[in-house]
Parts: sequence; structure tokens; C-alpha cells
Amino acid sequence: MPPETPQNGEYLVAAYVITAAILMGYWVRLWSRVKGVRGK
Amino acid sequence: MIPASPEGDALRVAQRGIWISAVALVALAGVFVLALAFTPVEARQGLAQKIFYLHVPAAWAALLAFSLVGIASVLYLWLKDPRLDRFAAASAEVGVVFSAVMLTTGPIWAKPIWGTWWTWDARLTLTLFVFFLFVGYLALRAAVHDAAERARFSAVVGILGMLLVPFVHLSVYLFRTLHPQPIVLKPSAPSLPPEMLTTLLVSTLVFTVLYVGLVTARYGLVLVDEAREAARDAA
Repeated sequence: MPPETPQNGEYLVAAYVITAAILMGYWVRLWSRVKGVRGK
Repeated sequence: MIPASPEGDALRVAQRGIWISAVALVALAGVFVLALAFTPVEARQGLAQKIFYLHVPAAWAALLAFSLVGIASVLYLWLKDPRLDRFAAASAEVGVVFSAVMLTTGPIWAKPIWGTWWTWDARLTLTLFVFFLFVGYLALRAAVHDAAERARFSAVVGILGMLLVPFVHLSVYLFRTLHPQPIVLKPSAPSLPPEMLTTLLVSTLVFTVLYVGLVTARYGLVLVDEAREAARDAA
């Protein structure tokens, strides 16, 4: 990385973590509903 | 083993969707590795530029979802096929989830690059408006209990939402805006180095498969609810 490149890795980490949390969270919600139906 | 019954068939659809989306989520972890370890750092924006590999595919998936809600809604009003209404409901919910990704990753990129989390320019404002419109669509579906009425009312809202999608895409041409111009979906050739373009296209493919999986799972769960209601009514 050239020395003049901005140092802003914390924003990258935040965006990747939040994306994973939203998508995994929704998937887990659907999965737990499917599991709940199977259990009945 | 799931017994053969309407509820069992619906559950199989939902499980298929869960499996497809699970595979897509594993592939998304691969996209993270590809973007972070094997794609060059952009010199002017630094590491924050790599947010682009999630933000753009999430925007693609959200606008695809909302466009398909509109198309299914038009077809529903014409054909009155309940499968179209179920699909529209599933696609709207998944579209709202992808919009949430788009609307959070966008400001996180904007803060270090623009110096502000948010600005009320045409692209951002229209995108937020479409998000709220489809949250309203889901609220409307939850509030109306008669199935035929619910399908008809929500189809109208779904079509209105779809009509906004081209304005979201074209807003960067129609208005003065801070938001970057399209770099792939534009009349001339994509203006990205090949390694960055490859990562973007792989990520877009993974988000599209994830959309298919999540919509299939959600559709299956709507079918399960309907099968249960039908069984209760028959009893």
C-alpha cells in the first residue's frame, strides 16, 4: 500500500461485520422457523 | 423423513431454500477472503473502498427483489394466481433485508470518503424512500387478514415500489449527486481493473444465489402457514 493511501481499515471491518450479522441473522431466523415446523 | 402432505411439501420447499442460502453464505465467506486478501487496495480510498464489494451486490439484490415484487404483482392482478402473491411477499421481505445491508454499508463507506455518514442527495434519499415503502408493504400485509384483499392491496403498493427502481438507478444521471456514477451497469464498458471487476462479479453472483435461497425458504414458510390454516378450516 503506498504511504499516502488513507488508513481507514476500521470502516472496512465495521461494514463486513454488519453485513455478516444482518444476513446470518435473517438466515438463522428462517432456519429456526423451519426447525420449529419440523419439531411439531 | 417428512410425511407426504401439503404441509410436508411446503416444508421441503423451505428446507431447500435454507440449504441454498446456507451454501451461498459459505460462498459469501469466500467473497470476504477474496475481497480482503486477493483484491488490490485502491490508492486514493484505501481499505474502505473494499466495502464496495458488499454494498454494490447488496444494492443489486435489493433492487432485483423489488423489481420482481412489482412484476409478480402485475401478473397477480392479471392472473389471480396465489403463487405470484406468495412470491411477491417473500421477495419483498428479502429485499428489505438486502436494503438494510445497502443502507448500512453505504454510510460506513461515506464517512471516511465523503467526510459525512449521510447526505440528502437524490440517490440516497430515493433509496431510503424505497426501503420505507417496502417496510410499509410488509406492514400492510401483516395488517390485512382477508387473503384476497391483502394480495390485491399489496400488489398495488408493490407495483408503485417497482416504478421507483429505475429512478434509483438513473438518479445519478438525472440529478446532481455526490454518489458515484455506475461503473458496470452503464452504456460503455466497465471502468474497473480486472481483479476488482472479478471480485465484484463473484460477489454479485453470490448475493443473487443468496437471494434465490432466502426467497425459496420464505416462500416455503408462507406455504406451511397456508397448509396449516387449510387443515384447521377442514377440521
